[in-house]
Amino acid sequence: MTIKYESQKIAQNFYTFAVLLFLVQVTVGIIAALQFMWPDFFILNFNIIRSLHINAMVVWLLVGMMGATYYVVPEESETEIWSLPLAKFQFWATVGTVLAVVLGYVYMGINPQANTLVFGTRLLNEGREYIEAPRWADILIVVSVLLFLLNNFMTMLKTKKWTGIQGTLLGGLTVLALMYLPGMFYTKSMVKDQFWWWWVVHLWVEGAWEVIAGALLAFMLMKVTGVKREVVEKWMYVEVGLVMFTGILGTGHHYYWIGTPSYWLWVGGIFSSLEPIPLLIMVWDAFRTTRETRVVTNKAGLYYTVAHAIFNFVGAGLWGVIHTLPQVNKWTHGTQITTAHGHLAFYGAYVLLVLAMIYITLPAIRGVKAFNASRAFQSFWWMTISMIFIVLTITGAGMVQTYMERLMGLDYVAVKTNYNLWFWILRAIFGVGFLYGVLIFVVDYFKLGKEPASAVAPAPEKA
Amino acid sequence: MSNKAARNLFIFGSLFFFVIFVMLTIDTMGKLDKRAPAITEEVNAGKMVWHKYDCIGCHTILGNGSYFAPDMTKITEKKPKDYLKQFLMDPKSVNPKASMPKLGISSKEADDLIAFLDWTSRVDTNGWPPKPILATAAGVAVKELTAGQRVYQSQNCANCHMISGIGGTTGPDLTHVGSKRDRTWLFGHFKDPKTYVPNSAMPSYGHIGEKELNDLTDYMVSLK
Ligand code: HEC
Ligand code: HEC
Ligand code: HEM
Ligand code: HEM
Ligand SMILES: [Fe+2]
Repeated sequence: MTIKYESQKIAQNFYTFAVLLFLVQVTVGIIAALQFMWPDFFILNFNIIRSLHINAMVVWLLVGMMGATYYVVPEESETEIWSLPLAKFQFWATVGTVLAVVLGYVYMGINPQANTLVFGTRLLNEGREYIEAPRWADILIVVSVLLFLLNNFMTMLKTKKWTGIQGTLLGGLTVLALMYLPGMFYTKSMVKDQFWWWWVVHLWVEGAWEVIAGALLAFMLMKVTGVKREVVEKWMYVEVGLVMFTGILGTGHHYYWIGTPSYWLWVGGIFSSLEPIPLLIMVWDAFRTTRETRVVTNKAGLYYTVAHAIFNFVGAGLWGVIHTLPQVNKWTHGTQITTAHGHLAFYGAYVLLVLAMIYITLPAIRGVKAFNASRAFQSFWWMTISMIFIVLTITGAGMVQTYMERLMGLDYVAVKTNYNLWFWILRAIFGVGFLYGVLIFVVDYFKLGKEPASAVAPAPEKA
Repeated sequence: MSNKAARNLFIFGSLFFFVIFVMLTIDTMGKLDKRAPAITEEVNAGKMVWHKYDCIGCHTILGNGSYFAPDMTKITEKKPKDYLKQFLMDPKSVNPKASMPKLGISSKEADDLIAFLDWTSRVDTNGWPPKPILATAAGVAVKELTAGQRVYQSQNCANCHMISGIGGTTGPDLTHVGSKRDRTWLFGHFKDPKTYVPNSAMPSYGHIGEKELNDLTDYMVSLK
């Protein structure tokens, strides 16, 4: 395994930043979990910790996908990246923006009054979930993403090898960039605010990101099993097509109770119930491809790839569909059931996707033929088992909450502090288990290809 | 199916569904203003304050947001405005056990926030949040209530107080209040809480009539 084009190495910058943010995300996740039991236990209030947790997550997943794209596009186009300095500039601009936003959140946590109004928008925090980043940062992020897209499209134009994988990948990324825009204007109505907010959040995770996942899945299956391009690409089109056909109108599952007309109950209910189908096809695709081939070049990579497909289906598909019908969602809307689904969906669909891409491309970037995969497996099981138990405990908390608060009419705070206490304790414990898995992964990431421990000596041939 | 056909199906199919989605969005946008009260300056100012303090980082509203604190959609239906104002400006002055932090909300900001929350409480949400179905079912078959219990129910004291595990948590638990307070204290406190407890956030019930207050006091005294 070696890279074909020197500029593909830029992917590693992005991976490293992603891995470090992953560590931050999970560490603050544990603080958030402890605040369910002791709300004042940290200098920063829960809302700031939670913003750091979910923003670190979204950013590291995006940065990981950018790294992956910088690896895939030259490989598919069979040429160097159009402009390596631009890629480097875009990387450091992203790092700078993210750090500035983080400092802003922390400062606001210490002094909430600092979040003043500047030119009609908030200076430090927009106060909207997931897109908390202030408007000035939104603009910098959009510029950075546009430079990133430009660089990759120009790379593609150099050789004009329009492969399905890179076309779909860049198509998904373009939709991703476009779908950030509906979150960038102010509306006086909270109903409209939330309406457009879901354009960003839903059309990202159940539209654009899922298309990117489909393209990367095809790329990874092709790399590790050597399956024929025509076959993976055809199934990729079927998968991402069905993702869009069900997912676009599936947005309706967020328009049941926010003040929108009741026809959304039908639109959202019907289309979102179909959303698991393409995710199931992806699982089948991964298994079929794996079974058909005997030569697996990268066992850890394949492991993470197949696990991504499975947990994408379980977390997004199954844990999504259980509360997607309006008759159920009426009772579970905004409970811990939603948190449970959010965790397993993001973990399965995107955390495992980025980690799989790292395990498949990093050995080549580091120039190693083979690597000792034992740490990769260890971290996988620590993370996955811990995540399963986090999700089970929170699903339990959600069922108790739905029953006692929503069906019996008990008080929210009473249910949270009395009846669900043990679930919070268990979540925090499994959170530490998850962090342990992440630490193993981080160590592995930095050591991969740099230690002579594996049976095969590193063979740093130059491309 | 050839790869090219699959690709075209993906692209044009996606566009097709997106166009339908945009059409539904336009239709929805035209209908939203009729499903909610008019947005005054105050309501908008309140929404800005909502964003300023990142309330959604702990609370849900219209069911969306964070799951650390109660949903705010219908809060003004449940709690009186004076109480809400005091809570927003200093949660622990209302309930020493409150875990919501004191964020530095000014008096004007609190008024605006309440106007905003009052606006959301009147949005037509297709019936969300639903009435607790089991509580309603149990209410039908409930045993004969005493006169005091009926007043307690009709005045919605349970929005703030808990008796034997049922009710709100922002006021003190009343399960054993009869062994803590005597008849004169309770009766006087109902009429004017602030003369008994400085800074009390409990609304005054002087307006509900002597008989009702006596019945209520009987009930409280019986809680030992
Ligand atoms: C750090 C988390 C946090 C933030 C930020 C926060 N709250 Fe709260 N809030 C809570 C919690 C937790 C409760 C439940 C009662 C308690 O334990 O304090 C609560 C209770 C309330 C209540 C009282 C509900 C009742 O039934 O008595 C209101 C009203 C409220 N919050 C409004 C707001 C508004 C408006 C904002 C933004 C300006 C806000 N909160 C910001 C955590 C928070
Ligand atoms: C909006 C919230 C709210 C409502 C509604 C409310 N209370 Fe209170 N109540 C409080 C608060 C806050 C306190 C604590 C401050 C005080 O003692 O005045 C309190 C205190 C009390 C106390 C004194 C308890 C003690 O241990 O000192 C009693 C008794 C009481 N309330 C009974 C009632 C009754 C009966 C009703 C209905 C008619 C009622 N409350 C309605 C908020 C409320
Ligand atoms: C990878 C794909 C997915 C991810 C990452 C994801 C993530 C999330 C997250 C984070 C939320 C909570 C948003 C908030 O904070 O308010 C959410 C809500 C929701 N998701 Fe998903 N999701 C995915 C796919 C799906 C699918 C396929 C379905 C349905 C079949 C689904 C159904 C729902 C529903 C119904 C809600 C609303 C819950 C509520 O009413 O509170 N999701 N999702
Ligand atoms: C890769 C792993 C993780 C991912 C992808 C992830 C993702 C998320 C997401 C999407 C949310 C928003 C919740 C929602 O809107 O539904 C969230 C909230 C949260 N996460 Fe995580 N998380 C991860 C790991 C952890 C860990 C290890 C912990 C610690 C035990 C943790 C604790 C929390 C807490 C306490 C919240 C707040 C939930 C709430 O508001 O009720 N997370 N996380
Ligand atoms: Fe969704």
